[in-house]
Amino acid sequence: MNLAVDISSLSKSFGKNEVLKKIDLQVEKGHVVVMIGASGSGKTTLLRCVNVLETPDRGTVLVNGVAMGDTGVDGSFIRLSERALNQRRSEIGMVFQRFNLFPHLTAIENVMIGPVMARGLGKTEARTLATDQLARVGLADKLDSYPSRLSGGQQQRVAIARALAMKPQLMLFDEPTSALDPELVGEVLETMRQLAEEGMTMLIVTHEMEFAREVADRVIFLHDGCIVEEGRPDVIFSNPQHERTRSFLRRTLRHRMGFEATGTDSPEK
Amino acid sequence: MGYRFDFNAVLSNWDYLVQGLWVTLLVTGAALLASLVVGLIVGVLRLSQNRVLSWISWAYVELMRNTPVLVQLVWVYYCIPILTGIDFSVITSCVIALSLQAGAFVGEIVRGGIRGVDKGQVEAARTIGLSSFQTLYRIVLPQALRRMLAPLVNEAVSLVKNSSLVSVLGVSDLTYRAQVLATTTFRPIEIFTVLALEYLVVCALLSYAASRLERRLAVSD
Repeated sequence: MNLAVDISSLSKSFGKNEVLKKIDLQVEKGHVVVMIGASGSGKTTLLRCVNVLETPDRGTVLVNGVAMGDTGVDGSFIRLSERALNQRRSEIGMVFQRFNLFPHLTAIENVMIGPVMARGLGKTEARTLATDQLARVGLADKLDSYPSRLSGGQQQRVAIARALAMKPQLMLFDEPTSALDPELVGEVLETMRQLAEEGMTMLIVTHEMEFAREVADRVIFLHDGCIVEEGRPDVIFSNPQHERTRSFLRRTLRHRMGFEATGTDSPEK
Repeated sequence: MGYRFDFNAVLSNWDYLVQGLWVTLLVTGAALLASLVVGLIVGVLRLSQNRVLSWISWAYVELMRNTPVLVQLVWVYYCIPILTGIDFSVITSCVIALSLQAGAFVGEIVRGGIRGVDKGQVEAARTIGLSSFQTLYRIVLPQALRRMLAPLVNEAVSLVKNSSLVSVLGVSDLTYRAQVLATTTFRPIEIFTVLALEYLVVCALLSYAASRLERRLAVSD
């Protein structure tokens, strides 16, 4: 089994709004897959279905060969028990657009709490582990800082360290740089690039096309709840087959070049 | 102004009054602690996914909010022994009644505090494998507590004031003793003036302590 993620015919609606329509998606172990698409295209929802932060309506999700939910006789997706889901989630790291660091804990406490509470690791070991992870993202000097004392880029790197401390097999990134000031985007992308080089399997939703072009093994373009086109980044970016992909890229790239400072897309809900 | 104030009646009975203060503080303190426990349970149940649990919690809050405290005190005092066969002392029944009553309000404060915590906090906690209980007490409640502090102090202040009603059942708290002195010394105006001042001091100290605590918590923000 060489697939880190194996999603088949996954559907999800919010009320009457069908957000994902029978999606199939595979991510090979060690690969970096970037999902692009306009806001409302379903890419964030798809990402959140991988660790069941959103419960899919139907379809199956396998992470490293293990099902993230049961399947009903009618093909519906059935949530696992709390305990089973927690166990599986702890092997999938997730980085959010708005960082979601715990404001009442210091940087190192943010990173330690998962290993201590979910894995039962001793405090001393956890401290060593957390120190290593924070050093890995270049924040060895910020161990005891509270999130409010850190810049957005630093906060996002702590969030990455927090996810890494759980020794995940797979990392999910949900627009990790969209809430950042433009000058802070680079440090977060650099950390992600480094992770990719170390062979981490990553599924990323982003608007950073340059980053996608350089780092992704595969780029997926979503539109209206469907995967319209996917392929190697050089092909997708320089020779997109589909008209929708072409017009999306045209708009996005012009936009990026024209106004560097636009930054925050609202999260699709 | 024809009336001449004479505080001698107060001064010569000072010890008697102050002993009442201890009773008041004891009843209030015990009820406050118990109401925090009741309130935590009520507030968490109210937010439960389970419809029955959240309905029970809602009904409880409405019952406590929409009946007079005095009626609750009297009801608990007379009915609990009948219903359970256990005879509590007057003070114990008063503490039970006051904590049940304040617990409903604390429950609403807890609910508001928890709902004020960003949903992303819960999601982040769940993605690093924390259970829902761990998420509640390590991530959500510590953040909710800061929002809850100010309304909790308000609730403690009402509890101090509501505790004066226990005098009706014959608990010799501050108010009860003031009534006794008023009828024996014929100086009700002076005595009730001092009584009001005593409550004022207790409540003001409480608010002051809370604002100090709030400022200290804010430092780590």
